[in-house]
Amino acid sequence: MSGYGIVSSMTQLVLFNIFNGLIVGAFYALMALGLSLILNLSGVINFAHGGFLAIGGYIAYTLMPYIGFWGGLVVAPLLTAVLGLLVERVLIRRVYGRDPLYSLLLTFGLAFMFEDGTRFIWGAQSLPFQVPGWLVTPLSNQYFFLTGYRLFMVLVVAIAVMGLFLILGRTRLGIRIRAGTLDLETVSVLGVNVRVLRNMNFGLGVYLAGLAGVLAVGQLGLQPTIGASLIMPSFVAIIVGGLGSLPGTLLGGLLIGVASGITTVFFPSATEAVIYVMMAAVLLVRPRGLLGEEGRF
Amino acid sequence: MKSDRSTFGLDRRSIIKAAAAASITQIASPFVITARAADEVKIGLDNPLTGVYAALGKNELIGAQLALEQINAKGGILSRKVELLVEDSTSGDAGTAVQKAGKLIERDKVNFLVGNINSALAVAMAGVSYEKGVFHVVPGGHTDPVTGANCHWNVFRVCNTTQMEANAVAGTLIKSAGKKWYYLTPDYAFGHTLQAGLEKAAAKLGGTKLGGDLTPLGTTDFSSYLIKAQAANPEVIIFLQAGDDAVNALKQAVQFGLDKKFHLAGAQQELEVLLGLPPEARIGTWVFEWYWNQPNVPHVNEFVAEVRKKSGGHVPTARTWFGYASIWTCALAAQQAKSLEPAKMAKAMQGFKLPPEVSLMPDGAFYRASQNQLIPNLYVGSAQSKGSEPEDLFKVSEVVKGIDAAGSLEDTGCKMTWPA
Repeated sequence: MSGYGIVSSMTQLVLFNIFNGLIVGAFYALMALGLSLILNLSGVINFAHGGFLAIGGYIAYTLMPYIGFWGGLVVAPLLTAVLGLLVERVLIRRVYGRDPLYSLLLTFGLAFMFEDGTRFIWGAQSLPFQVPGWLVTPLSNQYFFLTGYRLFMVLVVAIAVMGLFLILGRTRLGIRIRAGTLDLETVSVLGVNVRVLRNMNFGLGVYLAGLAGVLAVGQLGLQPTIGASLIMPSFVAIIVGGLGSLPGTLLGGLLIGVASGITTVFFPSATEAVIYVMMAAVLLVRPRGLLGEEGRF
Repeated sequence: MKSDRSTFGLDRRSIIKAAAAASITQIASPFVITARAADEVKIGLDNPLTGVYAALGKNELIGAQLALEQINAKGGILSRKVELLVEDSTSGDAGTAVQKAGKLIERDKVNFLVGNINSALAVAMAGVSYEKGVFHVVPGGHTDPVTGANCHWNVFRVCNTTQMEANAVAGTLIKSAGKKWYYLTPDYAFGHTLQAGLEKAAAKLGGTKLGGDLTPLGTTDFSSYLIKAQAANPEVIIFLQAGDDAVNALKQAVQFGLDKKFHLAGAQQELEVLLGLPPEARIGTWVFEWYWNQPNVPHVNEFVAEVRKKSGGHVPTARTWFGYASIWTCALAAQQAKSLEPAKMAKAMQGFKLPPEVSLMPDGAFYRASQNQLIPNLYVGSAQSKGSEPEDLFKVSEVVKGIDAAGSLEDTGCKMTWPA
């Protein structure tokens, strides 16, 4: 192979991985947005987010024989959101206003309960979740990593993100959530029912987790630990992107996806470590994150 | 204060009664425990029940429970009833596994220790059992050193070494798929030794390594590694991931259409992984360490039927058999030695051949003397999307004799020293 050949194939490899990293990052962003939404309004670091993700996947799997993949994609996140509303109403609500340690411990415990609960109901064995055959074929021989399903995932993420920003920007609920994020006390004094607001907001965040869950099991095995294995990059995405900023979270997700993609080319065993290195670097140089507001957290 | 008491329905009498009851349990319980210790033989199982290896751990437990029932039905160990104490070692925390092993040995005074699935945890537990001189069976941790460089007189292993799996499959792969291989290897003890084993086995047969990547344990997205593997243009992409990592890697490789361009294969494969894959991803050439569909091998059908009763209709996997053979090994060791003294039992098991109703394979299985490694049959074949029934997902093409895959005793690096 000529020297030129090596360079070009290396460049191609890097380009492929950047492109692929964007796809992976879009998924991280979807999870992280839900987390970020809850954190921003209620100050709760929801460690059980991965658990909700797993439950979204399991519900879709259970419903699939009756309503198919598409029905599951619509219904499962909604049912997960209902569970989220209940959990907030019964448990999370009690720790608002307390030291963050309380909500941390509560959601940490919930994460374990969700993992063991799914294991109890559906078993420890991985389940074969199948998406429609025509979705899981490469779109071209050259760009084989661009399957219909991955493109579809990016599309769903894009729609969900646009939908989320529309809700936040245009609807009464969204405007209240944004206002509450800035100053919850004043919003409350103005007559907004903060309890309902936080409940709806938590449900919205969990909906995104449920949606991420259904999308994830299309290309991963469905097992009780799936939430735990996907949650960490989302936290990193929030920190890199900046606490308190949803666009920041989106950017953070995409950035860590690309960073781990490029790392695979040069130092494959560090693909996971690199996102933490990135987080450390951001915390050292710009502690509020790339788009975070200063002094907010 | 008075109102407080009435709210909770408490009065002086019930408090005194409760205190009396509590004190009786305090006094009575030590007697119960001593009585048990004298009567029952105890086997401590310290294996994952939560985390990534939970499914494998559960199957080993089912096998262990079946063996326990059979042993007790036949009169127990040395005419004493056998009790199985089960602890969750976690899937990856060596500290917990060691602490539970210590608890089983020190507090519960188990006669036998069984575990672990995770290679690193198995090595750590072997350190404890060796120090305490307890008879220890490793059911399903494959890394070579357990019965190699770190072998101990008291530690026996049922599952194969990674080198044995590599030796068993290398020839078939080179013949059927090609000589240029690219490795995707999980970045921990099991993966490292398995890859080293395959490289060694392939090199002898003229195989070459085109490249390879170490993937962190618990990787969910394999796309970037698959892009690299495709760029290297090998004849075979070797997947050495286990458990859920293997499910994720294969599912994605097939979605990328890599199965149409390359031969996808590996060494160890398990029914648990194939069950977790959608039908189109049940492909590739692999080694199974035991398989349930062996209609012509005596006692296998009965074993399958018994396991189905205990597992909601599911067939046994190699893991079920590991658990089963491990507990039977304990009973047989005591029976051979006519003693529960660990050193006597270990001596009695040197070169011991498991009876056919326990080995459940065509050529049987024996513990190689001076290594304590079980030498069984290995099943080389390919995954299939559909078989004779929903859980028949592997087609055996060749049954390899363990001794042909095991290499020489010197090669294993095991130098055993016996207690004086």
